[in-house]
Amino acid sequence: MAVDWNAIRDRLKAAADALERGVAPSREEAAEILKARARALAEEEAGTGAADGGSIEILEFRLAFENYGIASSHVREVCPLKAFTPLPGVPPFVLGIVNVRGRIFSVIDLKRFFELPDKGLGDLNKVIILGDSMLEFGILADEIAGVRPIRSGEIQPPLPTLTGTRQKYLKGVGRDQLVMLDAEKLLADRDLIVHQESAA
Amino acid sequence: MKWSIGTKIGGGFTLALVMLVIIGMASYRSATGFLEAAELRSHTYVVLGELRNLLSALQDAETGQRGYLLTGQESYLEPYNAAVGTAGQFIDELRRLTADNPNQQHRLDALQPLVTDKMSELRLTIDLRRNKGFEAALEAVQSGKGKQAMDDIRRLITQMEKDEDDLLKARDERLNADAQKMISIITFGIPAAFVLLAVAGLWITRDIVVPLKAITAASVRIAAGDLPQEFTSGGRQDEVGVLARAFAAMTRSLREMAGVAGQIAAGNLRAQVKPQSERDVLGNAFATMVAKLRRTISELTEGVGVLGSAAGEIVATTAQVASGAAETATAVTETTTTVEEVKKTAQLSSEKALYVSDTAQKAAQVSQGGRRAVEQSIEGINAVRRQMEAIAQSIVKLSEQGQAIGEIIATVNDLAEQSNLLAVNAAIEASKAGEQGKGFTVVAQEIKSLAEQSKQATMQVRGILGDIQKATTAAVLAAEQGSKAVEAGVKQSTESGEAIRALSQSIVEAAQAASQIAASSHQQQVGMDQVALAMDNIRQASAQNAAGTKQAEAAAHNLNELGRRLRDVVDQYRL
Repeated sequence: MAVDWNAIRDRLKAAADALERGVAPSREEAAEILKARARALAEEEAGTGAADGGSIEILEFRLAFENYGIASSHVREVCPLKAFTPLPGVPPFVLGIVNVRGRIFSVIDLKRFFELPDKGLGDLNKVIILGDSMLEFGILADEIAGVRPIRSGEIQPPLPTLTGTRQKYLKGVGRDQLVMLDAEKLLADRDLIVHQESAA
Repeated sequence: MKWSIGTKIGGGFTLALVMLVIIGMASYRSATGFLEAAELRSHTYVVLGELRNLLSALQDAETGQRGYLLTGQESYLEPYNAAVGTAGQFIDELRRLTADNPNQQHRLDALQPLVTDKMSELRLTIDLRRNKGFEAALEAVQSGKGKQAMDDIRRLITQMEKDEDDLLKARDERLNADAQKMISIITFGIPAAFVLLAVAGLWITRDIVVPLKAITAASVRIAAGDLPQEFTSGGRQDEVGVLARAFAAMTRSLREMAGVAGQIAAGNLRAQVKPQSERDVLGNAFATMVAKLRRTISELTEGVGVLGSAAGEIVATTAQVASGAAETATAVTETTTTVEEVKKTAQLSSEKALYVSDTAQKAAQVSQGGRRAVEQSIEGINAVRRQMEAIAQSIVKLSEQGQAIGEIIATVNDLAEQSNLLAVNAAIEASKAGEQGKGFTVVAQEIKSLAEQSKQATMQVRGILGDIQKATTAAVLAAEQGSKAVEAGVKQSTESGEAIRALSQSIVEAAQAASQIAASSHQQQVGMDQVALAMDNIRQASAQNAAGTKQAEAAAHNLNELGRRLRDVVDQYRL
């Protein structure tokens, strides 16, 4: 088997040159990237501008291979699930408590609550902290997709196929199989509140 | 003439001897006479010399005396002193020489006192001159006494000389007479003796030679094989007559023998030979010869019979031998051809062996080269193994660095995740801010996008790292396999080196064996050459043998023929 050592040396040299150039993209590449972003932003502007009936900001996240959205107005913040403390004597959907910058939040696993297939925990799991004037708690998300505005008209009534516990908390469905959760209902739900006395 | 030949020859020789003695004696006598005369002559001359010496001595003495008298010097006395001693000696000598002559002895007796007187007179005058002077001496001289003595002496000496001269003359005359007589003897005696001896010799010779010539002529004829019928002796009684009779007897005897020989020649072996005596060599020999011939011929007859049958057998045997020789010649020819073929084969095998030897040596060199190549290849493979190990090390290092990159990437990913969350939080905060937060929303969106891109990039890098990890694992595996393959190659190379070494050894041995084969086949070739030569010689010999056998056959036939003829010949003899 004849090896073309010259070709191999050329390829090595090319790789070394590429490393030498470093991570910094070339001027043309940078311009290309910037242009693409500008186009994306312009599109969204146009979309928003053409909307009738207003739009709402939603936080999009993934839970058990499904896209879920929740109104960002009820979201305090998102943070990674770094360390949590399980609590004894609580229903299974209560994962435990976490400490975020000195404040303690309880974390609810919606998958268990909605009886969805469990994916397991990992470093990538995030906690979305919801809150209103009365109550603050976190829900576990597999992945955070981001914040984006959607038109109110896009949200349609939930499908009849979506049954079970989560039907009660659904607001509707959007494009791309987006399931909109009703944050107000979640916050107002008494089932989620674990009463100390009743638990005892 | 009753004298024998011995007597005649003896007489002649005696005559010659007598004449020789007469002439010899005469010659001897004259020669001795001559010698004696010559001796006497020289004696006379000696005596004369002595007389003159004596006179001279006396005169010397007188001369010395006169000189002294005149001068009175002693030196003038020297001649005198010399003469005083010698004069007496001369007289004694003369007395001895003339001892056989009484006359001379008488004169010497007279001379001696005169000389003594003279000498004493001289001494007296000298003493006078010495003692009394010149006058006294002169007086003594003038007395005349000395002169008288001297005159007497002179006269006596002259007489003695004359006597000796006369003696000399008489002797010369006698010598001349003897010489004349000698010459006459030689002049007449020798011719007379010559004539006498010649006549005697002639007569004796004639008497002996004539009958001897006749006998010699007869002998010559006998020597030539001609036997004369009769030989007469002439009735002589001397040695010649005896010889002639003996010769006649011999001729007769020879004729008888010749007659017997003639009978034998005619084949009659019954002829009787009577030898004349036991010492008759020829007769005895003839008798023995006839007896032996008789026996020999009878044996010969038997032998001829045997010879005839033997010759027949020889003829038969020779025919068989001839056919055998022909077969042998054919076989030898075939063998010679075979030997020639074998020689060719030996030559071919010798060439082949040489070729094999050369080839084996070349192969040995090639195998040496192969060994070196294998050793070099082992070294090369070892170098490859080292390189392989270095490559594996490098790849492992690369893999470890990939791991480090992976850790960095994890950190970057974490950072991107956090940035994403941060962007989300920022967007949430911005949306809460309402219209004022709109711009911030854009910024948050941008940050989020960047975080997404970072995540994607880290994902890509992770994927690439996984690929790299797989590739490095594969490369390490390949390097390991390569190393193992290299080890196997080293092992195989070592084995092949060993094999080549063993092969080289075998080839060297094969080369030696081939050399030995070449040498031995060369020897074989030489041997075959010799065999071929020997076979050729055998072929020639067998051809000669065949020819010889044919000749022997012919000879056997001849022998058979000879046997028949011999039988015919033998049959001619009457026993």
